[in-house]
Amino acid sequence: MKGGLLAYALGALARRKARSLALGGGLAFAVALVAAVVFLTEALRAEAERAHAAHPDIVVQKLVGGRPTTISVAEAKKLEDIPSVRSVTPRVWGYVFLPALQGNVTIVSTPRGAPALSVANGTLASGRDLKPGEHEMVAGVELAHFLGMLPGDELGLPSPDPRARPMKLVGTFRSSLDLWTSDVILVDEDDARALLGVPDGEATDLAVTLANPAESRVVAGTIVERLPGTRVIERDLLERVYHLAYGRRAGLVLGASIPAILALLVLAWDRASGVGADERREIAVLKAVGWSTSDVLWAKLFESILVGACATALGLILGYAWVFWLGAPGLRPALVGWSVLYPTSSLTPAVDLSQLLGITIAVLGPFVLLSIVPAWRAATSDPLESMRS
Amino acid sequence: MTHARARAIALSLLASPAIVIAVLSLDARHRRAKSRAEAPALALVAARLPTSDLALSGGARWLRAPSLEEPAAAFADGPALPDPDPAGGAMAPPVEVWSAIEERSGRRPAPGGAR
Repeated sequence: MKGGLLAYALGALARRKARSLALGGGLAFAVALVAAVVFLTEALRAEAERAHAAHPDIVVQKLVGGRPTTISVAEAKKLEDIPSVRSVTPRVWGYVFLPALQGNVTIVSTPRGAPALSVANGTLASGRDLKPGEHEMVAGVELAHFLGMLPGDELGLPSPDPRARPMKLVGTFRSSLDLWTSDVILVDEDDARALLGVPDGEATDLAVTLANPAESRVVAGTIVERLPGTRVIERDLLERVYHLAYGRRAGLVLGASIPAILALLVLAWDRASGVGADERREIAVLKAVGWSTSDVLWAKLFESILVGACATALGLILGYAWVFWLGAPGLRPALVGWSVLYPTSSLTPAVDLSQLLGITIAVLGPFVLLSIVPAWRAATSDPLESMRS
Repeated sequence: MTHARARAIALSLLASPAIVIAVLSLDARHRRAKSRAEAPALALVAARLPTSDLALSGGARWLRAPSLEEPAAAFADGPALPDPDPAGGAMAPPVEVWSAIEERSGRRPAPGGAR
């Protein structure tokens, strides 16, 4: 019997195409917006944590007046004998403003003994790894494209240091690694010091690797004691940064979208609760030919459930396609970050079954509940009264 | 449209969210598997980078590496705007570390946890 009512509800929706489309379209748009923000935020958090394991267990920076400044390489010696410390590596890296780009590029010195990068191991799109002492660089593929450079071309980076030489591009990172490398220029340590103006014997920070990462809290305490005035950053706390950063952005975007979503839902509610003259006449005829109040109530409820289910399904597809197939145009600048060189590689979905079910239930549940009142009102209307009016 | 056909269409429309969820879950799983295949290359590159932060805000020095930047960013996105990114401000050293140092040195921690 319910199958028959379901078929009738579908026919009724088809007869009132414009109304059904307006209602379903508005709801689908609201679902797509919320789903896209959730999908993008979760994907960004997951991407941020993908390279988490490569981050040093502890990073030590020197602060002067609350600002990070260079730290003496000799300070590393004071940390090497702390129990559980496996290695302390002074690192040289920093930013250089490129007028042509109107933005910063990240100059990173290559640590000695690092595993080689190559096209064969999937890290480079073209060229080869740099050779120390040859004034060579490996750059992000986006940056190389922006500057119109190919392997073999030279680039003079602005630097006040007379030791700085034009750098020869010998390789570009693979585009799938864009999220980490789009603005990165890898050079050897001497070139990094010259470009960034970091004197010999100084480093940007110290990377501490531990034999047992679980002891990072204890080691952090010892480092603060031995090197007063330093800022000690533990790897395990990074997760908190990503959750805060992307959570806040998602909250701001969703907050800004609330008026639009509410307007759509109010419109949808108005359309759903208003019973037109044709519909009233239809209900009256149904009751006159023997339909019970319960039958009419179920038919009306099925109409709402059908619209809600289709709109939710469509909204989920639109949200997913917007973020992962089209690259979130319009939404990406608001949620992702502020950059001249946007990484173009697609994000990896981190959304799971529970999140998809959660969005579905959060939309479909209230929508069906809200449609009970207008359905009840329509079902209990007097057929004679309706026919006369 | 026959009654049976209408019923079949209606039932499939009712089931559409479940079908969509299943299809999207499969697509997501396929994409995750593809990105897992790139993990060794990412590990090699990440070992050369100063931080695992994403290169999403290269234009803003204080946002390029939020885990390593200065504790208090000089600017938000504009004057008097809410700062959607806590930048390095979220990365204060753990409070217990400071308390432990104060205790070891025989000084009492300042009220309110001030350093």
